Parts: sequence; C-alpha cells; structure tokens
Amino acid sequence: MVHCILAAFMLLESPSDSTIKELDSVMVVSSSKKDFLMKSSLTNVSVNKSYLKENFGGSLMQTLEHIPGVQSMSIGSGQSKPIIRGLGFNRVVVAEDGIKHEGQQWGDDHGLETDQFAVDRVEIVKGPAALSYGSDAVGGVMSLYTNHKPVKTFEGNAKIFCRSNNESLGMSFKAGGRNGKFHYTANLTWIDYADYKVPTDSIQYYSYFIKLKDNRLRNTAGTERDASLLVGYAGYNFHTDLRVSDSYSKSGFFADAHGMEVRLSDIDYDSHIRDVDLPYQWVNHLKVMSHSVYNKDMFLFDANIAYQNNHREELSEPVSHGYMPKPDGNMERRFSKDTYTANLMLRLEPDEKYELTVGSSTEYQHNRIGGWGFIIPDYETLSTGAYALGRYMVNDNLRLNAGVRYDHVHTHIHEYHDWYKTPVSSTDSVYKQRSYDLSRNFNSLTWSAGVNYAFDRYIVKANVGKSFRVPIAKELGADGVNYHIFRYERGNATLDPEVSYQLDLSLFWSNDRLSVEMSPYVNYFPNYIYLNPTSDYVEGLQLYNYTQAAVLRYGFETLLDYSFNRHWTAELKGEYLYARQKSGDKKGYTLPFSTPWSADMTVKYTCQWKGRCHIGLNAHVVGAQNEIVPPEKPTDGYWTLNVSASKNMSLRDKELTMTIRAENLLDRRYYNHTSYYRLIDVPEPGRNISVMMELEF
Amino acid sequence: MRRIIILMALLALFCACDDSDEEKDMTYPEISVDGTPTDGQRYHRGDTICMSCSFSDNLELGKYNIEIHNNFDHHTHSTSSVDVDLDEDKEAVNPWVFNQDYDIPSGLTSYSPSVCIVVPDNIDTGDYHFMIRLTDHVGWQQIKSVSIKIIE
Repeated sequence: MVHCILAAFMLLESPSDSTIKELDSVMVVSSSKKDFLMKSSLTNVSVNKSYLKENFGGSLMQTLEHIPGVQSMSIGSGQSKPIIRGLGFNRVVVAEDGIKHEGQQWGDDHGLETDQFAVDRVEIVKGPAALSYGSDAVGGVMSLYTNHKPVKTFEGNAKIFCRSNNESLGMSFKAGGRNGKFHYTANLTWIDYADYKVPTDSIQYYSYFIKLKDNRLRNTAGTERDASLLVGYAGYNFHTDLRVSDSYSKSGFFADAHGMEVRLSDIDYDSHIRDVDLPYQWVNHLKVMSHSVYNKDMFLFDANIAYQNNHREELSEPVSHGYMPKPDGNMERRFSKDTYTANLMLRLEPDEKYELTVGSSTEYQHNRIGGWGFIIPDYETLSTGAYALGRYMVNDNLRLNAGVRYDHVHTHIHEYHDWYKTPVSSTDSVYKQRSYDLSRNFNSLTWSAGVNYAFDRYIVKANVGKSFRVPIAKELGADGVNYHIFRYERGNATLDPEVSYQLDLSLFWSNDRLSVEMSPYVNYFPNYIYLNPTSDYVEGLQLYNYTQAAVLRYGFETLLDYSFNRHWTAELKGEYLYARQKSGDKKGYTLPFSTPWSADMTVKYTCQWKGRCHIGLNAHVVGAQNEIVPPEKPTDGYWTLNVSASKNMSLRDKELTMTIRAENLLDRRYYNHTSYYRLIDVPEPGRNISVMMELEF
Repeated sequence: MRRIIILMALLALFCACDDSDEEKDMTYPEISVDGTPTDGQRYHRGDTICMSCSFSDNLELGKYNIEIHNNFDHHTHSTSSVDVDLDEDKEAVNPWVFNQDYDIPSGLTSYSPSVCIVVPDNIDTGDYHFMIRLTDHVGWQQIKSVSIKIIE
C-alpha cells in the first residue's frame, strides 16, 4: 500500500509512512505533500530511495530520465549527464549536499562523476535557480543528497546487480551508524561492464559501412569505482560533518569512429568484450566537503566548505592531421581542475510569518590542460556572490517570496600555442597561437519572486526570475580544431554573461483517486550563447563561432495519476518543449539537442504477499524531432515497452528486495536525439534486463 | 477539475499554434564529381590534378575547401564504399599536405570550380585522400572523399 502511494507521488515529495492514512480503500495523503509543494514557488520534484531503486539504470541520469522535463545525454551505456527542459552542460547545476559539482561540464563525451548508489535523495528544480547557486543554474538544478543520518548504531545495505545488455556487474555497500552524538556513513561501489549491444549488425555513417560483431559497439566497455566516508557530530544546536569521496571511471570510445571520424586500427577490438583499448577516457573526481549548522532560537547559521579535484584524460592512437605531425604518445587531452568552494548562510525567523535568509558564496577554479589536442585553454575563475531571500507566510494557504542576488566573476584565460608549426607562407611557418591571454570581469544582478497558493483541492505556484551564466573558457578562448566533431571552433572574447528570464507555473489538483499536475513555463534569453556553424573554412574544417542570439522557449510537463483501487494504479505523464532563435544568423532555427515531445503510460499492480510486491508495465513514446540546426540530423519518433517488478521480503530484522527491470523489451531499434553517438548514427541499446538484489540491515 | 482540463486544453492549443516562421533552409548542398579525381586514380609526382566537379544548393552556396593528406596508416574518412587497393602501411617522411579554402561568388545556387593542383616533386608516394568540403550559406556541409595514389 505504502509502495503504491510512493509510486503515485514519486514525482513529489515521498510522504513518510506516518503521514499516510488508509481510509477504506481510499488513500489520503496528509499535509506533507502540500508542505513540499508550498515550500518553493519554483517547479520542483523530489525523488526518494525507492524511486531510485525501482528505476535504477546504467548511470544516475539514466535512472532519473523518466521524470518529465528531465533527460539524460548519454555517451555509451555507463555515462550520462543531465538535461533539464532541454538545457544541459553549463546551463544546469549538479550539486552534491549543497556544493556545486565542478567537473568538465562543457564536454559532451563524458558523464557525471558521482556514485549513484551513495545518493539517498534527489531534488530537481526545473527552472532558474540563480538565487541559491549563482551562475549556471539557468536551466535548473539537480541536487543530490548523500548525507542522510543513520538512526541505528549499525545499519546499511548491500546491493548486487547486473544488466544484460552490456553484461554489467556491480556491487555496492553502504554501512553507517550512530553512537551518541557521533555518526558515520561509508559507501563502496564497483561496476564493470562490457561493450554494449545495439539492435543492428552494421552502422552506416556517410556511405561507410561499419560491420559490428555480435551487435556490439566495439570498445564501449568500462569500469567504475567509488568510495566515500562521512563522519559527523550531531548535537542539539550544532551539527557538523566531513565527507571525503572519490569516484573513478574508465570507459572506451566506440573504436570505429572517434568523434565523427571513421577509423581503422590494428587493435583487435573483437577479441575481448570487457577490455578497454584506445581510444578511451578515464576520470577521477575527489571531493572533500565540510558542512556545519548552528541553530539557536531564531537563528540558523550554515557553513559549507569544499575542495574538489577533477582529473580527466582522453587517450587515443596518434595520427597526423593537417599540419599536425603524428604526435608521440597517446595522451590526446588532459584536464585537471581544482575547485575551492565556501558557502555561508544565515537564516532568521523572527516569528512564524517571516523568514529572512542572507548568504554568500565564493568559488575558485583552477584548470590546467595537457596532451596534444587543444580545445580549451588554461584558466582561473574566481566567483563571489551575495544574496538575500525573504519569505512571508500570509497564512497556511498563501506564501510569498522574493529574493535578490549580486555576483562578481573574474576569469583569466591563458595563451596557448600549437606544439607544431603551420606554414603561413611558402617560406615561413609558425607555432600558431590558439588562445590569447585574457582577463574578464562579469557582474550580474539577479532576482526572483514567487507565490504559493492553496485553495479547495488546488495548489497553484507561480515564479518569475532572472538567471545568468558567465561565459566559460571554451566560449571565450577556444580557437582550434575539435577533432571529436571535426569542426573548427572559435571563441569570442567579448561575450556578455548570458541572461535568462523565466516564468514558471505549477498547477496541482487532487482528490481521493486522481491527481493532476501541470507545469507550463516561458523562458526568454536576450543573449543565449550559441556555437554557430558558418559557411567559412579554417584550416580545412568548417568554422563554428560563438555568438549570442535571442532565444524564446516554452513548454510544459504534465502528470496524471489515477488509483483504481488499492492494487491498481495508472499514470500518464508527458512533456513538450519549443525553442526558437529570435535573432542572429540562425533566426528561425531551434537550439542544438532540442528534446522532442514524449509521453509515458504506466499501469502498476501492487500487492502484499509476505512483503510488498509490484509489477508495472510502461510504454514510452517519443515524438520525431525535425527541429534541428546544422549539423544535426532529424530523428524519428519511437516507442519502447518496459516492464518492472519487485518483491520485498523480511528476514528477521533485515529486508531483502529484488528488483527486475526489462527495458526496450521488444528490442526496437531507435535513435535518441540527445545521445552523443546520434551524430554517427549509432542506435540506442537493444533489449536490456537488469536485476538488483538489495539487503538492508 | 474542469478548470484544469480547460487550462490544459488551452495550453495544448497554444502549443499547437506554432508560429509560421520564415522558411528555414534544411537542405544540404550537393557535390558531384564528374570524372576527376576518382577513387583509385594514380598521379605521378609533378602531375597536375585538375578537379572536375559541380556544386549545387537549393538557396545559396557557401564556401569550399580542398584538402589532401596521406593515408599511409590506412585511417579512413571514406565517403565512398569503393574498396581501393592500398599499399602497405608505412611511416610518413615528407608527406604531401595540401589544405586550401576557396570562396564561391555570393548568391549562386550552382557552381563549377576550376581548380588545378600541382603534385610536388619531393613528396612521399603512396595512398592519399583527396577531400572536398562544401558548405551552404547557413552552414550545412557536404563532404566528398576520394582515394588517390601518388606514384614516382
């Protein structure tokens, strides 16, 4: 029963057991869901552990991509990054326990460097959240929480899982405990996967045929290892914790096409399906975070300090290109980024009606590159921001909020010269300069205001806000060949901070059986930073240059949930997004990676037989995407059939859960418009069956 | 409830009413090679390669580029499905690198370039790729690759 409710409201805050009352066969969810909806005027979604468990995919984003308005941009079977309402990369903030995750977010060929099994809860804001996160939170925020405090002296879980499509095997352990005021939590995860399978025996790219052996994409195997330890003290007024985490992954790139170039190699990729040969990448993310809260009377003081190191390398077989001779060694690119963050916050609650929050955030980034390929220069960025946010609770059913924030960002990018010479005349050749020494200062004033109103069976939320994003080093200083996509990319040192205005509405209605949610939005960018394909050539490759264009976007997500009786529920959800460039060279065109409309229909049967059990059938329908910009290709629509089932058993004081998921049950061949491999016409994975066993103790 | 349905219907209507934008160019330019060079064609050092091809586009052609690089390691970006008889793999000593961007007079929907390239006397012989890249005015790009062989 509880399970059923959880599923029904998985897109909202999961109510704790105590707040659910069963009246005959009719469920009533008491105030906790309303509390969540009244908490923020932004459109937000919270998912809990049971949702993460039931939907678990090859990566965290693949687990979350069934939430309306959320997509994953995947590279291969084990890596993906978030797209919220069509915006991704540096337009979405991923935060872990309140600290902005800083990797190489701009890159389209790697994933998020986090342990998805260490995550207890995810909260997604679908809209501008600059007020709390500063630059980048233009499209939304994905907040991961790993700092759940243990309640017993010793507790935890052990998971073992496998996936059929890429023959993935994995294990994850979590152990924690509380002893008086002290507590700890430790996580260990290990995953290893083979080359994944696609429902085709060859890939046609240009007019070149790439034959696949046993339907496998050569060299897409990989491995992931994560570990973390949190120690904390929780007193009556004061609590503090320190968390150290490390996430390592290594994964191969599809061997027959590195980027968009079709390649032949002497490496015998077909001899093993689990090994990773060139080209491949590895990335390690180390994070140390300290979080302290002091709470007394009407004051709450919160300090969040962190250090992160993100080290990523791309290795491939060296080949000559243009005037670049064959380089020594395999190191094509290396990125090493250190980030120091300090967030301070003070909240005052003089009485029940008013709440005032003031805070500051400071972040310093230091990025160094290596290898024979050049795509972004070395840079340092120092960002500081301060904000004030007020809330006024008129009564239980009406809440108002407004906030303002000011940010100052200083970026310094370094010059870069090629390591080889390029002829500039018949007699002379030079080490070409690819980026110039540049210092820029950016200032931004952002604001937000919103209202939450509850009446009858309705809850209405409205929010209007301004967000911004400071141009990144690549946008300011790139000047070279991006061999992955075979284009010449040129930055623009004069770019302004990107500004976004957004109006969000959320309408919620529910009765005993049915709940309906609708979240429309309108979003306008006066100066969206866009990598514009031109008709020009530079050094033999098409020139793409960073420009700014006005962009209008609007769309909605919707969710309908109906419970027939205590066993059967049905859910219908969908999303739609429209984007148009309103000025510039590509006026009238959409934006790259525009997400097509999609809808999900799910029927679920929940039972109680020696523990909870469920079985669900889902049809996922995605529309065709003909809204494209060069060099994209239109992508056909598709639908997939998916089944999931779970069984819970109690073994004395332990709980055993078994979950089975079958994705793309009909083994249909389709393309995902937002997948990295879409560029080279690689279809999405075929049928996949995954099994997970979890023992909670 | 009724209000919700009405609202959703309104929204659906709003979305269905796509603004009729000005015509967007969604068509790639075309390259047709009529004779020279063709896959497997052999040239001596000192020869002149005169490219014979024609470009076309529905609205307006952009620019084009010709690039010649060695294929001694048998990498390929072949856009032709023809199997060419390749020499043994070898290391480049003094490979031929040719890379030149060309303009097309503005406003044209078809164009026949006249380009002749002299094969230098001192370069490595062996397998080469002759690449033609063509854009239209909005940035759609067409690529044509031809495998040629340079002999003594």
